[in-house]
Amino acid sequence: MSLAAFVLRRLLWAIPLLLLVMLLTFVLMRGAGGTPFEPPEGVPGLPAPEQRELADFYNLDEPWFVEFGTYVRNVATLQFGPSLVNRSRSVDDAVVQGFPVTGELILLAAAWAIPAGILLGLFAAVRRSSALDHLATSTASILLVVPVFFVTYVLSRYLVYEWDVFPLGWDTWQGKVLPVFALGLAPAGYVARLTRAAAVETLQADYVRTARAKGLRRSRVVGLHVLRNSAVPILSAAPPMLALLVTGAFFVESAFAVPGVSAEFVQAARAKDYPMILGLTVVLTVLVLVVNLIADVLMATLDPRLQEERA
Amino acid sequence: MSVAGPTSGRRRMIGAFFRNPTACLGAAVVLLVLAYCVVVPLVSPYDPEDADFSAVREPPSAEHWLGTDQFGRDIFTRLAAGGLVTLTIAGAALAVILVIGVAYGATSGLLGGRVDTVMMRLLDGLLAIPRLPVSIVILVVVGLQAQNVQTVVLALSIVNWMITARLVRGEIVFLKRQDYVRAAQALGAGRRAVARRHVVPNAFGIVLVALFLELPAVILGEAFLSVLGLGPEAPTPTWGNIALEGITFGRLWLVFLPSLAIAIFAVGANLLADGLGDTLDPRRWGAARVGRRWRKLAEQPAPEIV
Repeated sequence: MSLAAFVLRRLLWAIPLLLLVMLLTFVLMRGAGGTPFEPPEGVPGLPAPEQRELADFYNLDEPWFVEFGTYVRNVATLQFGPSLVNRSRSVDDAVVQGFPVTGELILLAAAWAIPAGILLGLFAAVRRSSALDHLATSTASILLVVPVFFVTYVLSRYLVYEWDVFPLGWDTWQGKVLPVFALGLAPAGYVARLTRAAAVETLQADYVRTARAKGLRRSRVVGLHVLRNSAVPILSAAPPMLALLVTGAFFVESAFAVPGVSAEFVQAARAKDYPMILGLTVVLTVLVLVVNLIADVLMATLDPRLQEERA
Repeated sequence: MSVAGPTSGRRRMIGAFFRNPTACLGAAVVLLVLAYCVVVPLVSPYDPEDADFSAVREPPSAEHWLGTDQFGRDIFTRLAAGGLVTLTIAGAALAVILVIGVAYGATSGLLGGRVDTVMMRLLDGLLAIPRLPVSIVILVVVGLQAQNVQTVVLALSIVNWMITARLVRGEIVFLKRQDYVRAAQALGAGRRAVARRHVVPNAFGIVLVALFLELPAVILGEAFLSVLGLGPEAPTPTWGNIALEGITFGRLWLVFLPSLAIAIFAVGANLLADGLGDTLDPRRWGAARVGRRWRKLAEQPAPEIV
């Protein structure tokens, strides 16, 4: 099977999965009962005419499958509709304003965490079982188990609020340094552990011994053979890695006042703003599926056997 | 098959467990934390929820080993009581995870073929979706009035059963290829009999391993939800709620202690899972630092913390 066919098949698999996620979220929300206009504590209720307008937009008076159909059509045409709680805001606004910021934060964090993790992991694997290996491995494990809210609390409180080393906010690059650093720590530890495990295995392979035996320098063997052959296991960890980054973003954004999508999400959850939650979940799912597709395609390019197995 | 009777087999397994340093260390850590959380609230002279405004924000002392919080509550007691709630949530979530994960994994593995392919593809997709937002969605749906312990349990178990399902399925597919299973089939045993007598009972070990692999994610999940203000409501102490109080009232100490407890417990549970994986498989008794077949079955490497 060609690579194009592989990509196409994966894309086709993504559509039912996305519909399933939408249906599940939708049914759950609807099954929760009551009316979405019942104001939660502290949120003023909507006046009747506007309720009418919203009910018409979302087809709330129709049977659930009509409502779901309307919703799928809206999403397909990229119209997520207005928020049920905040009259002046639409879900599209939140998506358009929030996701680029969160996306930038996650990409920047991944951009330093992945190379750093790979270097730390290779370093440990090459010096396997030495004191330096233990140091590197335990550093990686500690980075992974320390809860992210502890890291963000310490960094934001001291470096931003008390000592004024870095400014708050997302407007300047100085303001971006700490959020990006804090978000990348756990993924860096994760990548380091994966890389070490993969590289330790590759280092014992016959072709590595052959390469060494024919006189290639150690650095070249590691850079060329080991790194390349460890790439597939590292790439296969893209989904949990992305999950780490998304989870972390919730705490990083709130600690450093980054105007990303997570604050919107938590706020919508507290206010039971159904279209907002639904819309943000759908966009997030699409992004996650795209990232995983990219990782799968990269893996299949590096190791063509996977095109057969995983398709 | 083994000549030894069940008793001697079990005894050898226990022996292998105690000879495995990883397993022992993990078990010791988990048991110590558990003992702290169960015993301290019982014997402590302080109540974890009663305020005492004459002793607010005290540093550690002989009376208050870890000091007191903004309401004068003894932190040593409150951390234990919070741990007990957190661990209860985790235990209840693990019970639900056990049911969903084993049912899904066993169905997929036993049926095989196209059903297996579709179920596993679906599982891949579900594993790819970040858990925190999904558990928030579930919380919103279920906990319409107030967030309480039950809704948190439900939210955490719905997003955390996938590793168990995958491990159980992998183990069953592995067991189905074993010689003794094929021998039983050759002797004319039916599908059901083979599944009931030879495959399912032998997949028991993997379930235990899977649960300890899921445990850190569940504990962290509770903390994440609570710190976002979506956990069990205020007076209830949990590790996450204590950390949230620390963040709200600006006390590093109160953020640090539950974070440390979570980290220690997560490491312990991971060590225990690794150690159990090594000792529950008789083929690996006595082998030195043993391979991680079970870990590898998870394919998604080291899923413990995400």
